[in-house]
Amino acid sequence: MADAEGSPAVRSLRLSHSAQPPPPASSSSPTTFSCPSSPSSASSSSSSCSESSSDFLTHHHHHHHRHARPQLQLPPPTHGDQASSPSASPRSSSPSGSIGSTCSLGSSSASEGIGSGVIDPEVALKACQEVLLKVKLQDDQRQHPADVAERGAVTQLISPDAGSIKEEDEEDTDTPSQPDPRPSARPEPFSPPSSSKQSWLLRLFESKLFDVSMAISYLYKSKEPGVQAYIGNRLFSFPDSEVDFYLPQLLNMYVHMDTEVGDAIRPYLIHRCSASITFSLLSAWLLGAYSSDMHISTQRHSRGTKLRKLILSDELNPAPSDSPTSSPRTHQRSKSDATMASNGPGAGLRRTGSNPKVEAVHEEVSQRFSREVDSGPERLRPQREFIKSLLCIGKRLATLPTKEQKTQRLISELSLLNHKLPARVWLPTAEHQHHVCRVPHTQAVVLNSKDKAPYIIYVEVLDCDSFETSPVPVRIPETRIRSARSAENLDCSTAANGSSGMTSEHRTGSFSTVPNYDNDDEAWATDDIGQLQVEMEAQTSSSDNISQFSVDSITSLESKEPVFIAAGDIRRRLSENLAHTPTAFRRDPEDPSAVALKEPWEEKVRRIREASPYGHLHTWRLLSVIVKCGDDLRQELLAYQVLRQLQSIWQQERVPLWIKPYKILVMSSDSGMIEPVLNAVSLHQVRKQSQLSLLDYFLQEHGSFTTEAFLTAQRNFVQSCAGYSLICYLLQVKDRHNGNILLDSEGHIIHIDFGFILSSSPRNLGFETSAFKLTSEFVDVMGGLNGDMFNYYKMLMLQGLIAARKHMEKVLQIVEIMQQGSHLPCFHGSSTIRSLKDRFHMSLTEEQLQLLVEQLVDGSVRSITTKLYDSFQYVTNGIM
Amino acid sequence: MSQVEKKAGLLRRTSSSKKPLKEKVVLMYDEIFAKEDPAKNNPRFWDELFLMKVNLEYLESKLESVDGEDVQRIQDNINSLFHHCVQALGEEHQIKVVNALQTLCALFRGVHQKNKSASGFDIINMLMGFDKAEQRMKDLMERLDSLLCGDSSESLKSLCLKLLLCLVTVTDNISQNTILEYVMINSIFEAILQILSDASSRGQHGYDAVVLLALLVNYRKYESVNPYIVKLSIVDDEPTLDGMGMVVHQALTEYNRQYKDKEEENQGGFFSTLTSMVGSMFIADADEKLSVQTNEAILLALYEAVHLNRNFITVLAQSHPEIDIAATPTTTTPTTPTTPLGTTPPSLDMMSNPELPLDPNLQTSNLLITFLKYASIVMQDTKDEHRLNSARLCLIILTCIAEDQYADAFLHDDNMNFRVSLHRMPMRHRKKAVDKNIPSRPLVCAVLDLMVEFIVTHMMKDFPMDLYLRCVQIIHKLLCYQKKCRIRLHYTWRELWSALINLLKFLLSNETTLLAKHNIFHLALLVVNLFNMFITYGDTFLPTSNSYDELYYEIVRMHQVFDNLYCMVLRVSTNTGQWKEAASKVTHALVNVRAIINHFNPKIESYAAVNHISQLSEEQVLEVVRSNYDTLTLKLQDGLDQFERYSEQPKEAAFFKELVREREGGLF
Repeated sequence: MADAEGSPAVRSLRLSHSAQPPPPASSSSPTTFSCPSSPSSASSSSSSCSESSSDFLTHHHHHHHRHARPQLQLPPPTHGDQASSPSASPRSSSPSGSIGSTCSLGSSSASEGIGSGVIDPEVALKACQEVLLKVKLQDDQRQHPADVAERGAVTQLISPDAGSIKEEDEEDTDTPSQPDPRPSARPEPFSPPSSSKQSWLLRLFESKLFDVSMAISYLYKSKEPGVQAYIGNRLFSFPDSEVDFYLPQLLNMYVHMDTEVGDAIRPYLIHRCSASITFSLLSAWLLGAYSSDMHISTQRHSRGTKLRKLILSDELNPAPSDSPTSSPRTHQRSKSDATMASNGPGAGLRRTGSNPKVEAVHEEVSQRFSREVDSGPERLRPQREFIKSLLCIGKRLATLPTKEQKTQRLISELSLLNHKLPARVWLPTAEHQHHVCRVPHTQAVVLNSKDKAPYIIYVEVLDCDSFETSPVPVRIPETRIRSARSAENLDCSTAANGSSGMTSEHRTGSFSTVPNYDNDDEAWATDDIGQLQVEMEAQTSSSDNISQFSVDSITSLESKEPVFIAAGDIRRRLSENLAHTPTAFRRDPEDPSAVALKEPWEEKVRRIREASPYGHLHTWRLLSVIVKCGDDLRQELLAYQVLRQLQSIWQQERVPLWIKPYKILVMSSDSGMIEPVLNAVSLHQVRKQSQLSLLDYFLQEHGSFTTEAFLTAQRNFVQSCAGYSLICYLLQVKDRHNGNILLDSEGHIIHIDFGFILSSSPRNLGFETSAFKLTSEFVDVMGGLNGDMFNYYKMLMLQGLIAARKHMEKVLQIVEIMQQGSHLPCFHGSSTIRSLKDRFHMSLTEEQLQLLVEQLVDGSVRSITTKLYDSFQYVTNGIM
Repeated sequence: MSQVEKKAGLLRRTSSSKKPLKEKVVLMYDEIFAKEDPAKNNPRFWDELFLMKVNLEYLESKLESVDGEDVQRIQDNINSLFHHCVQALGEEHQIKVVNALQTLCALFRGVHQKNKSASGFDIINMLMGFDKAEQRMKDLMERLDSLLCGDSSESLKSLCLKLLLCLVTVTDNISQNTILEYVMINSIFEAILQILSDASSRGQHGYDAVVLLALLVNYRKYESVNPYIVKLSIVDDEPTLDGMGMVVHQALTEYNRQYKDKEEENQGGFFSTLTSMVGSMFIADADEKLSVQTNEAILLALYEAVHLNRNFITVLAQSHPEIDIAATPTTTTPTTPTTPLGTTPPSLDMMSNPELPLDPNLQTSNLLITFLKYASIVMQDTKDEHRLNSARLCLIILTCIAEDQYADAFLHDDNMNFRVSLHRMPMRHRKKAVDKNIPSRPLVCAVLDLMVEFIVTHMMKDFPMDLYLRCVQIIHKLLCYQKKCRIRLHYTWRELWSALINLLKFLLSNETTLLAKHNIFHLALLVVNLFNMFITYGDTFLPTSNSYDELYYEIVRMHQVFDNLYCMVLRVSTNTGQWKEAASKVTHALVNVRAIINHFNPKIESYAAVNHISQLSEEQVLEVVRSNYDTLTLKLQDGLDQFERYSEQPKEAAFFKELVREREGGLF
């Protein structure tokens, strides 16, 4: 319901500049609305604006200046009549401004040369709310003047000439100089009537319906600097996570749209960047990627590039190195780093054993990306270095001829990388705050690709409260694993050897606290060299012996009577054991990823955890990521956003369509990372490995037709098929061969690789003309063309389409904004957006829509082109 | 510089032969060997001495020629020379430092040459004087340490290491070198580590540093507490350990490459055989020696690292691209052995490159792979004592590796597949395997291949019993790990089985000759117990159910061997003699194998009779086996999956003492 009301409202607002919506309900309480004062402040400080805007980043003390901003932009001009002439810009016209100007002048002069840098979101929010409150009151009271003012506002909206825009712009930047308390302190007795048009907008803006999506939409479509600036401030009031979804849109607007929009967004971006390393890097990467379509000469001086440089220069670091809060932390860190060496087994012994000089040198080297200084210019460095090395590996792998060589090289490169971990680095695809502590390099695998070398790595991370401030975990050497590896070894190893017998409890203890490393350990160490040798001897002779006894032989040792076993039992156990191992894929040097991806995720996590020296820590988690080099992931990101949007639309409308948007990180226009879909292998791999039809494979994996497991898997399959069929249709996803469709362990299909969407398709003789891929194999899994499940599939599609249609704007908006300034192939031609819009079929009735779905499905089932395309792929790429 | 050197050499030679025109430095040496204190007349004597270029030959010969009585007379002056050498090491002037280092080297060597029989204390007395020895050596070690760790020039560091190597190898038996006691007290371990941890210094001095470390660790290993052992055992700094691994890797790779080149040369067809024959007629066997000479010092270092340091195991699996030095143009000038030590390190310029080189033709390798290849070469020929010892050391290292859980983990890691091309001895009855077709498999397969290869190729009259025992034990340890961790390795176990059966056959047919020297029953017991492992615990680690059938098939097929073995051990165990005990153990161990044979043989015969087939096919026998399991009862034997852990002392102590002695005499 909420949306149903919301979107028409948006539409009508945008379309009807001149049409007057009926004034809202009235009331008669006296107004405190103080808009007239705002122009005055603007005029007063216009002189300072140019300077302050240039260096406002470095300004710190004048937050309040900025926060007053919305008050200025929102209210309509003082006098409706005056506003109709372009020259009558509000600031010059207000006689009442004089009082305000004095005080604002003072503060603005003070702020000159210092400027303001970081906006406190809370203050911004408060400012927004204040304005809204006032507008509300005013709306309630005044009905009549509103008409007049409204007209003025409209005219201003319609005919702002270049000059006035410029002035408005200046005014924007000026607003900071307006002191906070002013509006409420000086109620204007002759407040001018406000425009009902504006109040309409305001009512919308303040309403609960006004979400980030709408904000972005207005930001993009409104030409009114006031509105843009208002939204720029309003962004502060949304939860970070919601705005983050639209970060590509925001940044693309920042890069490619006019200055007003940029100026409106900029404070928000700056604020977020200074608050978060993650946000900084994401922004910097995206800015780089979206700027890349510009001509090289303009690119260099574009605002996007400049902002990117600013972010990467790390001048936005909120904590200067001399700040009192950061220095003790740094100190503590370095202390704990020093101790990390000694908290392991034979703690103090290390001091005698390893050369302190060596350590010092090593520390220096590793500081390059691991043990970083907490503040200062190094803030972004570790993560950037980390990502850079991952991408470099990808580039180097691409030069190797065979998959096997690539995988081997990958493993060796990663093992080198491992030396520098743990460090203050994180995987940007993850939800939680964490530090990367280890890359289990032998698990990494090169993915199938013709000439690039995308690869998947598994990454062990330790969760933490705050990635930026929590101490970096202490390094635990690889070999330390043995002590914690299995319970059976624990006892004897603790007893027998001093050098690796630390139990996990010990280690956790020393890891989480700051251990005192100085006196005791060292004193102990210097004396006990002799003792150590004794221990070493003891260890070599005893430690693992006990563990070698198997259960069987111990029992046989205890009972003196001979134990007899049947040869048949041994043979039977062998075949049973083999049968019980889950259907693993065979190892194939040409397709190393198949085995790695087929292994159930939980299984993999357990296995890696067992083998990891960090596995015993309760904060341990395993993540995975695909690193892509030489591929432009911007389209993938766009597709991800659309999928996410549709997913939430369907959830909201309670349509049980299933899709799995996977996260995309764009690092540049030709590199990035992808969040892998867990427990999923491609249909191609399924076929090649199992040599079964899809239906038979389902039966093999989930059980026979009537079992619960099969039915669940079948339902999952249908729901995901319906979801992706719609996606494929709406987005015109092409290149749908079986290598690009995954099947997960629950029976869902997942489409990957959105390299050909919207206006682009692979240059291949017009294959894939059908709306989406629906092979007879798919239909078989659904139970045939006449089955219930197939009807369910069609019904789901219809429901999904109706739901999507209802929220079309939300989808369109994402695509439309990204088209701005983009040279991506999916935007090729002029009709991309129009065609996309057409595919929502707004004009059709539901009956007609149903017919359409029938036609689409029918066409796809019949289409021989999918079949042709598959065989084409088989011939050219060996994909089954 | 070298030209000057040459000139000086020429000059010297001519001058010494014709007229007694002596260099100034020689005159100064003469002064030292006079009674008087040389500084008495010339207070700047020592200052000047170290500005002169050292004449090593003269100084050494002078020292050697000192008569017993003279010793007393000139001891003060030699003490003084030593003292001033040490002092000069602290000089800013590099020339002085270099000269002092060389002079020290000559002193150590000269004194030892002269006093081969003398006790260590006499030597110390002569060099430093008893009362001052401690202080002098402390100063010397401190100076060397600071030179090695400071930012002095690379050649200076190199010279420091050479001096240390000279000191360490100056006696035939390292443990008799009493001066080293001071090197124990004043450790330079940290300096060695630092060299290894830094890529560039490792590239230049890594080889010397590793050899030095290996030797120091072996100083009085068993008699006293050697701090180097203790320190090496607890190093856990990864870059350092990696560095050490790199040096070893590099040296072994270089050896493998040389061997391969030589092999290819020999196989290059008729013409090349001819030329090499002609060539070898002219060129002395120096070249030959080089290629045969094994890098035992490096191997010893690898052993010590693997044996002593738990953390080093990770380094074994650390991948490096295989560095093929032949492929890259060697820019390094031929390293002339400037020192008398003769340790020519392989060109290490690749190692200083921290970035992995980007050559698509490079196979990724790691230390373990290189070591396995090396071992496969060394094990081919164990005829002379020297190489036998190398092979033994290789097997000892493998034993340590097979016992280590972490090493086992990566040996069996399914994700770490490699193609390891082992060298196989060319034999008449088999074709040389084509390298290209080696499948990519977990590393443990290569280890097993190597063991099988050894078993197959060393059944000779001069039976290397010790090596066989180690070999079979390594296999056993690997099986124990697989059983414990339920790892089903896709390995063609059949090759192993038939190799083991052939070994038993060989033992049987050479019983009398072998029994004269060895306890063949111990080996037979180990081999039979390997079969028992497969029979009793096959369900936990065999890859397919078929492989269990094949095991039975192989035993039944070769039942003659087991029958004969049983007869033999029964005979020996019923007689009274020294082998009674050992033989009876084998009879007990054979119980299940015999049960299998006795159970299936009649079944197979009757199957053949019923179906009127004279020769059963493999498939038919397997069918019989499959259908008759249920009536067969086996006995669970004790301790099949237990093994004695490797320990150097006391069993191997003699070997290592011998090895170190041989090393110093033979190699340096």
